[in-house]
This record gives sequence, structure tokens and C-alpha cells, in this order.
Amino acid sequence: MRKLFKILSDKRGITPVLSSLLLTVVAVAAMAIATSATYVITTNLRETMSERVIVEDVWFNNYTNSIDIYVRNVGEVTVYILAVYVNHTSQSFTNPFTLEIGEHQWLNISQNWVPNSSYYIDVLTTRGTQVAAYYEAP
Amino acid sequence: MKRLRLDKRGISNVIVAMLSLVLVVIIVSNVILTSYQMNQFDWERMQENVEIVNVANTVDGTTFTLQNKGSVTAHLVSLWVDSATIHQRYDMNLFINAGDSVNYTLSDIGLVDNASIVKVITDRGTVSMFNSSWQNP
Repeated sequence: MRKLFKILSDKRGITPVLSSLLLTVVAVAAMAIATSATYVITTNLRETMSERVIVEDVWFNNYTNSIDIYVRNVGEVTVYILAVYVNHTSQSFTNPFTLEIGEHQWLNISQNWVPNSSYYIDVLTTRGTQVAAYYEAP
Repeated sequence: MKRLRLDKRGISNVIVAMLSLVLVVIIVSNVILTSYQMNQFDWERMQENVEIVNVANTVDGTTFTLQNKGSVTAHLVSLWVDSATIHQRYDMNLFINAGDSVNYTLSDIGLVDNASIVKVITDRGTVSMFNSSWQNP
């Protein structure tokens, strides 16, 4: 009992132990921050590289007086559609519009169109991928 | 030699350098691997060349003659029949080997008229259209 008390009351050598411990904590924290930052950066980069979207069909719909775009995700990550431009003008659509890997569906744009006119349709994803082309209304 | 072995100075620098090196190798290999995979995907997509050779309305329905003129196997996932009034999509799950020709018949399809646009889509995103007119029975 007396021996244990002696050990506990002895303050010599505490500073080197504390400094080593602190240094270890700082080193581990720095490495953890570096690793997680790296993970986030590479994940973003990989996702941007793996994104592929196509427009299967564009239907100038007479019944609903809208432009319906059929999009398909052919890439390896989930796609989030951010904006759709018709002749460089932003259009409203059902937001959020998400396409899982391999998923395909209609994207309806409420936009009046004129027969025999050309329309430049541009679909933009949140990662910056663009699918754009000219389509002619029937 | 013994003195060199006992000398602990500079060990932390070596450890930090090694850990950083491991981290850099992991990052670079990860990015290069993804880039390689997507380059492969794009290359295969460029090699894809599916042609709709013929469309014919028969008693069984409508028969589409498809030919893979590319150098990779094509997996067709969609068939579109676009007329002036409606754009109809049909699900497909058809593999065509390089150089092969396949007759694909749809029985649940109405008569397709000459003014319609027929197109097929592959799982890599290649779109092939049929432009010529075809025979009705």
C-alpha cells in the first residue's frame, strides 16, 4: 500500500510521457484529417469521371404541349439532374430528379413549342456533365 | 554498423515519408483505375455499331432485323417507335455478338407505318436509327 502511494505521488518523468502522448494524438489526428480529405477528393473525382447520361428520346408532345425528354443513366454512379435548358433558357421540371445506375425515365418540361422549329436542349447534372443536342419539332 | 543501428535520429521523418507515400500511391492508383475503366467503357461504346437492317409488319407482329456491325457484343435495352402522334418505348434484353444478325419480333405492337422512326438503344448508350421505308404484308 505504501509502495503504491509512493509511485502515485512521484511526479518525476510525467512531462516526457505527456508530451509523447500529445504528439501521438496530434499525429494521429493529422493523419486522419489527411486520409478523410483524400477520400472525399478522390470520391468526387471518381464520381465525376464515372458519370454517363444519354438522352434516348425527345418527344414534342402535342397532347400536353410539353417537351418530354427520356433520359438514361449508363454510368456507374447515381445521377442528379440539376438543370434543363431549352434554347439556353432554364426550364422548370420535377426537382429533385434522380437516376440510379441503369435507371431511365421521362423528364417533362412544360414548354410551348412551335412546329418545324429547332430546339437546343441541354441537360446538366450536379457534377457538371452536359448532354446537349439540337432537336427539331415535328 | 552497430552505431548506425543504435542511432534513432531521423526515424520519424522516414515513417512520415513512408506513410505519405502509401497515401499518395492509394490516391493515384484509385484515380488511374477509375480513369482506365471509364476509358475502356468509352472505347467499347465507340466500337459499337448496331444497324436496323429491316423492319417488316408480319402476321406475328413486327419483325426488326438487327445487325451488329461493330467489334464488341451489343446489349440492346430499348426499342423506340416514334410516330407523329406517340413515342412508344419497348423494353428489350437482347445480346448480339459482333457480326451477328438477329430477327426480333414484337407481337404486342401495332402496325408501324413508314413515317415512323424506329431506333434501338444499347446499355452503353449508343443509339441506332432506321431511316429507310419498309414492307407491309
